[in-house]
Amino acid sequence: MSFHYGQGYPGGSHPPPSAPYGGASGPYGGHPSAPYGGSPHGGSPHGGSPHGGSQHGGAPRQPTAPYGGYGAPAQGGQYGQGQGVAPAGHYGGYGGQPQGGHYGQHAPAGNIPPGVGQEAFQWFHTVDTDRSGYINLKELKQALVNSNWSAFNDETCLMMINMFDKTRTGRMDIFGFSALWEFMQRWRGLFQQFDRDRSGFISGTELHQALAQMGYNLSPQFSETLVRRFTVQGGRPGIQLDRFIQVCTQLQSMTQAFREKDTGMTGHIRLNYEDFISGAITRLM
Amino acid sequence: MAYNSPYRAAPQVNAPPDQTFLWNIFQRVDKDRSGTISDSELQQALSNGTWTPFNPVTVRSIISMFDRENKGGVSFNEFAGVWKYITDWQNIFRNYDRDNSGFIDKNELKQALSGFGETQSYRLSEQFYCTLIEKFDRQRKGQVAFDDFIQCCIVLQRLTDVFRRYDTDQDGWIQVSYEQYLSMVFNIV
Repeated sequence: MSFHYGQGYPGGSHPPPSAPYGGASGPYGGHPSAPYGGSPHGGSPHGGSPHGGSQHGGAPRQPTAPYGGYGAPAQGGQYGQGQGVAPAGHYGGYGGQPQGGHYGQHAPAGNIPPGVGQEAFQWFHTVDTDRSGYINLKELKQALVNSNWSAFNDETCLMMINMFDKTRTGRMDIFGFSALWEFMQRWRGLFQQFDRDRSGFISGTELHQALAQMGYNLSPQFSETLVRRFTVQGGRPGIQLDRFIQVCTQLQSMTQAFREKDTGMTGHIRLNYEDFISGAITRLM
Repeated sequence: MAYNSPYRAAPQVNAPPDQTFLWNIFQRVDKDRSGTISDSELQQALSNGTWTPFNPVTVRSIISMFDRENKGGVSFNEFAGVWKYITDWQNIFRNYDRDNSGFIDKNELKQALSGFGETQSYRLSEQFYCTLIEKFDRQRKGQVAFDDFIQCCIVLQRLTDVFRRYDTDQDGWIQVSYEQYLSMVFNIV
């Protein structure tokens, strides 16, 4: 296996919009405005069928670019072109109110803070059930569902709060939430793209294709094992949106960690106990 | 302290509680009377001593440790293990939380975790303990509460185990490929 390091980091000069970890600019930098100018999706967030029939024209660009990394120089061109176009169709995602009480219902009318998209703004007020002005773990978990209406797992919710909690208080303000909203839209788009059989679950094979397309040079066995590890107990094999987001985000972050150690670009690193432990802890959590 | 490595398994400090006592607790925790204690039932029953909800990730970690059939909860038999695990950790935690604040600070954490590395090549630096506090302190107090302390230990245990597997000569250094590295951190070795 060869590692195409030179070209292999297509996104190198473009920090991923979503890169929460370690990025100097933090998760918010560089989001000029909400990219989803699209129609607010009224009605059921699932639009009946889990995937809402959203043939979002064309694949979204790999918005979260530089995970990727090892290998796949051919993909280089698509990275770093800025924000992925967030497709509108969203199964999963913000829901939690099956009866379809949606935007606008209790959202205050005006005063959207600069840089915050209208949809994100409206959702913020729906999700902030205790009206504290912040979204905590519990509120976030209540708001996020996979395509079969199962709640997002705690780990993913906690990871996302940690990523977007600029205030370091364990909760998100409107700006953090707005950034999370964009982040979710992009991952949801990718998920739909890679969930080729539209099952709401990404299989080992689908994950392998997804990772290859994102530019990762990893074996099919790696994806298979990863999917097995994160398959919900007693459920259908495969990972849902929540785990997909978690896995891809962590993969991105850990690839970056590896890359920083692999100064000779050999595809191998030597590291000591503390480096290993602290690298994993700081980046996985 | 008598324990060398708190991570292997929580040390044996308690005599096993008797079955009637456990059964009474089990019934109180198993609110829906399903015969299985779920994550949310256990979470509601546990206190971290600080009036904030018990860390759900810790709850999940503990339940999955004892849930043998992957049913998403623990039966009465399995609950005995859960109970012991938590009370043993509680005793350790109390030993270090000398002022009973419900939190332990960096130095206390360091003491609580000493013996963890065991060998000289597995020492951890001062800076590392700051990182631990920063990452596991959910309440952002600069100290860790009981639930976060357990989670911290579970994570450290897991990562140390996987590191040891690659560090065959136990010198504290490993050489790994990209995919090996990812497999290690994703715990899929």
